[in-house]
Amino acid sequence: MTAQVVLNGFVTGMVVALPAVALTLIYGILKFPNFAIGAMLTVGAYLALAFNVYLSLPVLYAAAIGAVVFAIIAVGIDQTVFRPLRERSAITLLVASMGVSFVLENIVRFIFGNGARSFELPLARPKLVFGLRINNEQIVTAAAVVVAMAAVYVLLRHTALGRAMRAVSDNAPLAAARGIDRERIVRWTWVIAGVLTAAAGVLAGMDRAIDPLLGWNYIVTVFAASILGGLGNPVGAVLGALTIGVVEETSTLVIPPNYRQVVSFCAIALLLLLRPQGLFGVQRIRR
Amino acid sequence: MNVHGRIVNAREIVLSTEGLAAGYGGEDIITNLSVVVEKGSIFTIIGPNGSGKSTFIKVLAGLLPVRTGEIRLGARAITRLSAPERVAAGLAYVPQEFNVFANLTVGENLRVSTEFLERERRASPEQRERVLAMFPEVAGRLALRAGYLSGGQRQMLAFACAMMAAPTVLLLDEPSAGLSPRFAAEIFDKVKSVNAAGATVVMIEQNVNEAMRIADIVLVLVNGATRLLASPQDIMTKHDLHKLYLG
Repeated sequence: MTAQVVLNGFVTGMVVALPAVALTLIYGILKFPNFAIGAMLTVGAYLALAFNVYLSLPVLYAAAIGAVVFAIIAVGIDQTVFRPLRERSAITLLVASMGVSFVLENIVRFIFGNGARSFELPLARPKLVFGLRINNEQIVTAAAVVVAMAAVYVLLRHTALGRAMRAVSDNAPLAAARGIDRERIVRWTWVIAGVLTAAAGVLAGMDRAIDPLLGWNYIVTVFAASILGGLGNPVGAVLGALTIGVVEETSTLVIPPNYRQVVSFCAIALLLLLRPQGLFGVQRIRR
Repeated sequence: MNVHGRIVNAREIVLSTEGLAAGYGGEDIITNLSVVVEKGSIFTIIGPNGSGKSTFIKVLAGLLPVRTGEIRLGARAITRLSAPERVAAGLAYVPQEFNVFANLTVGENLRVSTEFLERERRASPEQRERVLAMFPEVAGRLALRAGYLSGGQRQMLAFACAMMAAPTVLLLDEPSAGLSPRFAAEIFDKVKSVNAAGATVVMIEQNVNEAMRIADIVLVLVNGATRLLASPQDIMTKHDLHKLYLG
């Protein structure tokens, strides 16, 4: 049973890894914690739901189109809300992101109502592998997240865009002095974060019912994962997400499942007090 | 055109400002500053703390907006160009602090210094080899994160990055700041080398003696305005810097 719980936690962690990386990319480039990450995950799920249910597209295609549409929406949100506040403090941007969160949640509620929905997925029996029950959704989640994380890693380490993102994250004025157009990098960051978050919404929607509060089930865990991994550290965010996922899930062996997010709250509090750069974060060179 | 007391062909003027004013908040730090920099020269700006030297160099680099006045690179007005656009136009800037990407490797720092410019301004492999030959302190550490370099090595890397684009004008903000006398002397020798390689240098410095050793022309800036413009020899023999600084 413990092994099953650990596996389930690993898969949960994989779902959390996508928005955790999105959060950490936004933080790295724009230097503010995006509180709207949960609502963005919700919108991503509903977009895919719309294409799946109303246009009868298979979930994979619906997710892909939904991710592209949401990436455009994310850039639009940045241009209308965050760009005018670009030079303001992180607190101002955080509060603005709270506003974005409430607006997105209520737009979704207005269009789709409060009722729970689900994707139209073909029924399939879970598979039994070494005594562990693995369902199709978990296999899809694992494959999608591995591919996404590999793509993000290659992008950040081995492409011009990735180098530019890391340069802007490190020293935005120097990046401008080197010819890097910061606003262009910001737009691309929102595209990548939007795709990751929308994909996470789809994976979350495959795991549980889709409703306007879907993102609230993940937001604390996402923040905990990002802080655990070191804000601004994408690899750390993945490791943090997997760790938090496993710890949260295994905590249900001891505490009621409703309280699993207490684990994330405690992790955030302890880390901020004792090791703010996170367990896996390499101390960023600031001098 | 009469520049510094001699007639200069307009084609020899690589950088000029006219009536420049800029500052922070409600105040102008530099006021009505008009400067002409000849091609191939080392133009050094000295002055007391708070005189506007760093403000001036940031305005030239495009990191601080102009309030009034104009900046020209050759015949081209660049006043409204952004910092990246000025880099593309041939201006390179080496800040005093935080002048390398500390969390990128030395090799990546060199790579991004021209990677995002127009194709014709990107460093060719030959240009990269020339720069690495000019800066051997950097060449042997390409895989090292730049933040782990010493202060002097970082300054060399910052120079090398600026030189990758073969700039027309190199703007230096106190290149010897915080360095030991030995490293400071090395830095100034490097400034002469890059000047000899073809870059006009506009430099602000607190290390007056070393700066005047290599400068062709010196501007003394006090309270955001020109107090004196003369050769280093004239300044050393005919003027009292203390009186100039203190007014």
